[in-house]
Amino acid sequence: MTPIEYALIALFVPLAAAFIIAVVAPLRYAGMPAALLSVAAALVSLGASLALLVQQIAQPDRVIHEVVRWLPNGPAALAQVGVHLDGTSVSMSVVVTLVAACVQIFSLGYMADEPPAARGRYFGYHSFFIFTMLLLVIAPNMLQLFAGWELVGLTSYLLIGFYFQKPSAAKASVKAIWVTKFADIGLLLGLICLFAVTGGFEWTATLSKGWATAITLLMFLAVVGKSAQFPLHIWLPNAMEGPTPVSALLHAATMVAAGVYLVVRADPLFAQAPTTQLVMAWIGGFTALFAAVIATVQTDIKRVLAYSTCSQLGYMVCALGAGASMAGYFHLTTHAFFKALLFLAAGSMIHAVHSNEMSAMGGLGRRMKATSTVFIVGALALAGIPGFAGFFSKDLILEAVHEAGMFVPWLMLIAAAFLTAFYMGRAVFLSIFGPFSPTSEGAHESGFSMTGPLWLLAAGAVGIGYFGSDFAALAGGTYHFHLGMSGILGTTCALIGLLLSWLIYGSHRLSPQAFRFVAPIAWLARSGLVDRFFEFAYRRGALVLADAVGFFDRYVIDGVMNWIGWSTITSGRWLRRIQTGNVRDYVYAVVAGAVVIVFWGLSR
Amino acid sequence: MTMQTLLLLTSALFCMGIYGLVTRRNAIALLLSAELMINAVTINLVAFARLAGGVTGQVFAVFTIALTVAEVVVGLAIVILLFRWRREIAIDSANELRH
Repeated sequence: MTPIEYALIALFVPLAAAFIIAVVAPLRYAGMPAALLSVAAALVSLGASLALLVQQIAQPDRVIHEVVRWLPNGPAALAQVGVHLDGTSVSMSVVVTLVAACVQIFSLGYMADEPPAARGRYFGYHSFFIFTMLLLVIAPNMLQLFAGWELVGLTSYLLIGFYFQKPSAAKASVKAIWVTKFADIGLLLGLICLFAVTGGFEWTATLSKGWATAITLLMFLAVVGKSAQFPLHIWLPNAMEGPTPVSALLHAATMVAAGVYLVVRADPLFAQAPTTQLVMAWIGGFTALFAAVIATVQTDIKRVLAYSTCSQLGYMVCALGAGASMAGYFHLTTHAFFKALLFLAAGSMIHAVHSNEMSAMGGLGRRMKATSTVFIVGALALAGIPGFAGFFSKDLILEAVHEAGMFVPWLMLIAAAFLTAFYMGRAVFLSIFGPFSPTSEGAHESGFSMTGPLWLLAAGAVGIGYFGSDFAALAGGTYHFHLGMSGILGTTCALIGLLLSWLIYGSHRLSPQAFRFVAPIAWLARSGLVDRFFEFAYRRGALVLADAVGFFDRYVIDGVMNWIGWSTITSGRWLRRIQTGNVRDYVYAVVAGAVVIVFWGLSR
Repeated sequence: MTMQTLLLLTSALFCMGIYGLVTRRNAIALLLSAELMINAVTINLVAFARLAGGVTGQVFAVFTIALTVAEVVVGLAIVILLFRWRREIAIDSANELRH
């Protein structure tokens, strides 16, 4: 089979599964058959992606660009759709399908207690998600990428609101779509500008400096929304209302990384705009630090992981801002593995104790050995401890940002590295070690459908870091591991953070009271300042503006229309008086008219 | 007869028609007045046809006569219906279409 056929199989088999599940109602209501169909589709998609990856590794610089006309407009077409296969898109599609397959298999066990109809719906959404995400990943131009971008936003909305009976989940899904759609206006405007300037949607276009900056800044707004960067990160913690496997797949591993992927894809455009890159580095660095601070004071394990996702995406964005797209992309890949692992392991623990609170999970290590082991592996990888995947990619990012001479973002990343290790240590010591909490007494290990994917992802979280050079070859760069000053500093900070968390939460040698001086920061972090700011901006800004526009509409535009209607009626009321119904009057009028016409004719 | 005499005759007929139309209240008198005006026009057609030569105007005069007959038929029918309905044919009182 040709590579194009593999790509189309990877793309359309999940879509077909989603379509069948959506259309064949009995299948959906039955639950389990729909789930198996969805898993089978995901595995087929994974197989096709892997086949492509094998081919790509054999020829790392192979680029297949196959398009068909879309929106034909005379002999020219407004746009094109198709398939673009190179190292980046192929490896990304493997990451997407692999994590998606793991998450779906995990969901077989995790969602077993749901009503069958809800399960059918859940797996239908999942299949649709694979299609939309791959549509985005293998897009040959920005327009198809945008289509996929919006569709993953839709699936995200559907899956966050999966428990739509719960008001908080319904609100969270609306919030997510509000925030991301607001940000997507940027991408839409950016694409319109790109089309206006170049007449196409290619990311390889060469632009003038001003246009490049404007377009990439607009695109970056969408990245800020989708990848949950400050100040539009507010939707991601709320998105944890969805089922935990959804959080693992969409809101940690793949969908939120679409923003980073967009920048990696459109790297030729972003490379032309140093101003945008500087903005990216600062926003990324600040988000990494800011979200890490908030993560240290959360008690809900999913919220810790959610803020951690914001923080890690900040790392990637900062790396992209430093011009090191390969470093950002490498971190995206490793992060996809260990963050999906962490979320699924957390899901396994939540499933066991029926609570998201870390205090309810105390001592789970002795009840759930496998889950705890992989959770610790994920935590170490996230913390950037040497030997695990996160270490390599984080080291690369720190090096790149340092080399780019961006000192303040670099400093923020180092501080975030310390905090990352601290809050992950805290999560591990609170939920896995320590005394049993009442709820965790009766907990038992989850079934194989849940632990199997965990082991697979754990292998990835450990092993993927050693494939840096292969990865670089696929991404069209080079990579040689060397431990520089940045790496040593970052790792030392991480180890100190881990040690500190052990001293406080593990051995209790240090009391949290000793850190009362950070209480104001903690209070600020908990109070949701950004949320309040947006609420204020909405009430005082958007609503006031809406009132003003409403006033204009009601009294000026409607006023003109109403005046026209009123004057027609009034003049009609006056004019009807000459309609007497008396034949004589009409004859007079006719004669008078005839006389006027005659005289007018004579006088000409 | 000269052209001038003919035109004077038709003008007189036409004005008589208008006068009748304006002053009479009887619907049949109105029809008669309208008939006078149409005949004035028909005589004009024939007169100008002779002045210009050819038969086109005369043919139109025949058409006009035929149309007039049709018009009178419809008009009388309306008058009869009006009479059946109101028991009078004074048109001043028949102003229902105004409303």
